[in-house]
Amino acid sequence: MAWGDTMVYVRKDASTLTSAEKRRFVKAMLEIKRRGEYDEFVRMHIDYYVTDGEGGLRTAHMAPSFLPWHRRFLLDLERALRRVDASVTVPYWDWTKDRKAGAGPWTADLLGGTGRRSDRQVTTGPFAYATGNWTIKEGVTDGEFLTRDLGRARDPIELPTKAELESALADPVYDVSPWDSTAAKGFRNRLEGWGSGRGSAAWRNHNRVHRWVGGVMVGGASVNDPVFWLHHAFVDLQWSRWQRRHPGARYLPAKPAQPGSAQYRRIVARHEKLPPWDVTPDSLEDVGGIYRYA
Amino acid sequence: MVVSVGGVTSGVAGALDGQARPGRVPDVVRSGSGRRDVLRGLFAAAGALALAPLVAASRPPRGADDPGEVAFDETYRGRHIRGIKTTAGRDFGADSWHVTVDGRQLELMRRADGTWLSMVDHYRSYDTPLEAARAAVDELGPGQQLRETPMGHTGTTGEMDGMGGHHGVRP
Repeated sequence: MAWGDTMVYVRKDASTLTSAEKRRFVKAMLEIKRRGEYDEFVRMHIDYYVTDGEGGLRTAHMAPSFLPWHRRFLLDLERALRRVDASVTVPYWDWTKDRKAGAGPWTADLLGGTGRRSDRQVTTGPFAYATGNWTIKEGVTDGEFLTRDLGRARDPIELPTKAELESALADPVYDVSPWDSTAAKGFRNRLEGWGSGRGSAAWRNHNRVHRWVGGVMVGGASVNDPVFWLHHAFVDLQWSRWQRRHPGARYLPAKPAQPGSAQYRRIVARHEKLPPWDVTPDSLEDVGGIYRYA
Repeated sequence: MVVSVGGVTSGVAGALDGQARPGRVPDVVRSGSGRRDVLRGLFAAAGALALAPLVAASRPPRGADDPGEVAFDETYRGRHIRGIKTTAGRDFGADSWHVTVDGRQLELMRRADGTWLSMVDHYRSYDTPLEAARAAVDELGPGQQLRETPMGHTGTTGEMDGMGGHHGVRP
């Protein structure tokens, strides 16, 4: 099937977007929200967040397919945006570089800023509740407004550093047994960021960024914050960087877990179908024919 | 070029195929491997109907093999948090919990290392349900309450997932 166009498109660093590019991205986001499409993405992410201490197949989190699942999820969002405006792509937020609450994507012409002190409500930018364009429908709390607490004011934490991200990129193996949130090695879990420590050490890389943004981004309905996509585009970029760094390194496991093993039917192997789509991790390892990162 | 391997689309172009519209009840959920089904199994094992009055009234379950016990019941930062532990979820070789904040259910999920995370604080885990509940309170903004109908799996409003196949994908 056609993806919509045949040209390879470019995902850009959010901090390099022109005013027009920001405006068009925002406009397309608001339009898919208005159509009700956006809330379907929120719901889907909630539905597929299965933890590894429960039974059942894990696809989106605590599993090897964390990266391909979110890669495809981004592609679907991007496709919805490009149906509205074919010039739009999902920008990425380089949180190793843009580390301040008042800069980077947190400007009034892109995502707006942190939440106000009283109730963490985001009151600036195009996704502020008062605009009437961004009412949260699929939320964990009864609040209908977007919330953020950038840097966690009451007990400040830092975004992951370049060194922490490097510790993931340097790992030459994609993922290792037991293929879940307790995997002590492997690029996937180092990047997804399930630490075993207490306190601040409990969050690493991807997870830590969710924590740093706070508000809805730290909950099950994190997709409600548009920064979800900018964050995951940057995570997705790391997969491409890791592949370049380790030529020949592939998605693992290559073969399905066998009956009797703890992960039997609970994880997706390289050539198995990745629900809810009819695609395999193998087919998502190289997306150079669809988009590239600038 | 799209090639088919065992009926599953593969190849570079395969990344573009196999479209699943978000919002549609996905096959994986229907076929019993989605998140809700995990809990469905749990509640079905316990006797979903026996649990329904518990959930509605936030009391220990009646009629189940194990009535459950109030493991914590305290006011934390102005919020009433309560946790009831039952052994109903034997399917998973672990206790199951019903935790509320100001009377509304806080969904908890288990990690493989035995720790707990909540729907409010989904990107790290805590040693105990009590710690997870307190962390959720820390995260709730002033005046904010959990939704009456939880986002996820358990279907506390009498509409048990296991009964009606409700997957929360609203029309």
